Amino acid sequence: MANFNIDATAERTFQAIVIGSGLSGSWAAKELCEHGVKTLVIERGRDVKHLHDYPTTNMLPYEFEHRGQLTNQIKEENPVVSRCYAFREDAMHFFVKDKEHPYVQDKPFDWIRGYQVGGKSLLWARQVQRWSDFDFEGPARDGFAVDWPIRYKEIAPWYSHVEKFAGVSGNKDGLANLPDGEFLPGFELNIVEKYFQEQLKKHYGDTRHMILARCAHITGNLEYYQQQGRAKCQSRNLCHRGCPFGGYFSANASTLPWAEKTGNMTLRTHAVVHSIIYDEAKGKATGVRIVDANTKQMEEYFADVIFVNAAALNTNLILLNSTSSRFPNGLGNDSGLLGKYVAFHNYRAGISAEYEGHSEYTTSGGRPTSGYFPRFRNLYKQETDFLRGYAAGFTASRSNYADQSGIGMPLKEELLNPSKYSNWNIGSHMMGETIPKETNFVALSKEEKDAWGIPLLKVNVEYDDNDEKMIKDYQQQMTEMFEKAGFTNIRVRDDKRAPGLDIHEMGGVRMGKDPKTSLLNKDHQLHACPNVYVTDGACMTSTSTQNPSLTYMAFAARAAHHAMKNQKWGKV
Amino acid sequence: MHRREALKSLAILTGGAVLVPSCNFEKEDILAAYQNLNVTESMCKLLAQIADTIIPPGNIQGAGDLAVQDFILVMVNDCVQADQQGMFTKGLQGFDNFSKEEAGSKFSKLEPADKEKVVAQGLSISEEDADAGKKTILEFLRITKRFTIQGYMMSEYIMTQVKPYHLIPGEYNGAVLINSISNPKING
Repeated sequence: MANFNIDATAERTFQAIVIGSGLSGSWAAKELCEHGVKTLVIERGRDVKHLHDYPTTNMLPYEFEHRGQLTNQIKEENPVVSRCYAFREDAMHFFVKDKEHPYVQDKPFDWIRGYQVGGKSLLWARQVQRWSDFDFEGPARDGFAVDWPIRYKEIAPWYSHVEKFAGVSGNKDGLANLPDGEFLPGFELNIVEKYFQEQLKKHYGDTRHMILARCAHITGNLEYYQQQGRAKCQSRNLCHRGCPFGGYFSANASTLPWAEKTGNMTLRTHAVVHSIIYDEAKGKATGVRIVDANTKQMEEYFADVIFVNAAALNTNLILLNSTSSRFPNGLGNDSGLLGKYVAFHNYRAGISAEYEGHSEYTTSGGRPTSGYFPRFRNLYKQETDFLRGYAAGFTASRSNYADQSGIGMPLKEELLNPSKYSNWNIGSHMMGETIPKETNFVALSKEEKDAWGIPLLKVNVEYDDNDEKMIKDYQQQMTEMFEKAGFTNIRVRDDKRAPGLDIHEMGGVRMGKDPKTSLLNKDHQLHACPNVYVTDGACMTSTSTQNPSLTYMAFAARAAHHAMKNQKWGKV
Repeated sequence: MHRREALKSLAILTGGAVLVPSCNFEKEDILAAYQNLNVTESMCKLLAQIADTIIPPGNIQGAGDLAVQDFILVMVNDCVQADQQGMFTKGLQGFDNFSKEEAGSKFSKLEPADKEKVVAQGLSISEEDADAGKKTILEFLRITKRFTIQGYMMSEYIMTQVKPYHLIPGEYNGAVLINSISNPKING
């Protein structure tokens, strides 16, 4: 580097560097800064300041030129991200556009990304279900991947820690496979959802449950959240625009401002991480090389400890691109497994139906969550011809609508005074556990680089026979339950979506007990380079069926405390 | 709106309307803001009248008062598939002929009641039996009606003065008895 001198090095030296300002990175930053660690947070995109940078948050429906719809031009230019349910006129600005950041799909994979401060924490579906030992013991019991090096009891206090700060609304349901947590008051299931709960009880006893899904929204303990400048969720259901109340958890509203307030956080935006610097003599990582997104100049930053939280696949990319003579195949990659055993959640199947009962009732107001089926398949023992199982969403709703058959004054009167009610519409979608395999992997392109000189990521991930069987089972089991509940017009679907659109991609830098078969130890350190931690989706040994974000947050907080206790910290 | 604003500024700079070459028999200039549609100013006026027939004025303003035709054109130009855009433009071009066939006069010359009959007749064209020209009228009217309703109900006027939209919808109630809801009747 030109103009490199001692002063510049001092200015570029921190105690910790966190790569990525999203959901998991912001948790690492918050814990480190809160305890006095001088921390540099590196973000490849622009800053998005809470309240200031939510341009659409209070826009009214008529203020959107296309009333929320995507134009043909946007869909044609962005076939991948246009398939994401949240990529709409009101939140498009928080998503990566296809052409800006290309990748290589060796097999179809819809990679949905948010390159800005806060990352996808602005855009997530805010579902936060805990894992249990039914999940952590899955690989060992069923003989796939490798055994998780941790169990529920080690992570439980960290679930409590992050739930309390983030704010989680839910009910204590007393289910062994979906442990209760630190809950604020739950939202309400509606009369038909409660009816369905009773039907499950009647037909399946205590073996199948549908509960209120726990979500990261503030519904109580308001004075506590005032300290973060956050207020009660107003059920606007406009979360993807960024919330002016801070009603749901995002890095932007919660963890990042908290970290910033300590005075210990430095945020470097527009910095695309090229690689982690490994010092052969010291035998550890000493810093991070970035390429300025605008000037394309390379810069180096230094720290004692490095957290890699770039989001699952980009964390793989950074480690694969961090080569040295000690690690010619990527940082910490002695096992040769870096980038392999990538998995995801199978969201392909869904079901819809109608219910003619409870026709005298409807609902009012808003609710930012829905019902949730914890996994019931193969829970206590193997009972099907496929491994593992699925969780599922569940919703009942009905609408008051206008008969639009006429024209003229009768139509106008009907539009202004809608007289019709639909039947209750029942819907569910599956969230299937997929089995991590060596053949599902990401790698670096040898030929193609992006605008910052970094190799493109090649994604080679697909469904397998286990997934196909699980889709059929979901469809059959849900149909059976819906029939028993007296629902009609039952229709199952398989939308054949590519992996990735679930936005639950995981693995590639998996945890494990043995350095020969895993990359990270039980404390999220690279076995071979223990001052580097990975606590985002890349660390996942298996996927379970729960939305993974809460687990990443708990992992990040736990690993940050491990680092503070066990690493050698220099002075800045 | 960047493109349309740019075109407007260009119009000011060039001292007049921005024109794109017309490739049909219309002598009138094509509105450049809707580059995927061959729409002239008089076609736009005709569309306004059709929309205003679908949702007429009364105690509450109608589609014409709210210039819903502009919204229809934006949506058809930007969000509708190319084959449907073609049907829309053709149907709009042919609509006065259809009006002459059905009611003996150009649409704009008809009384409101006759306008309503023409639109109703157009919408009742049989998908199976009609010839290609008639099917085009049907498709054009379906698209127009759909966006008239959307543009009208999602207009600032309706959403602020008639049926106010609330960014904050209120707390969820999962069991509301329908006969306990009393919405005062809005007299259209």
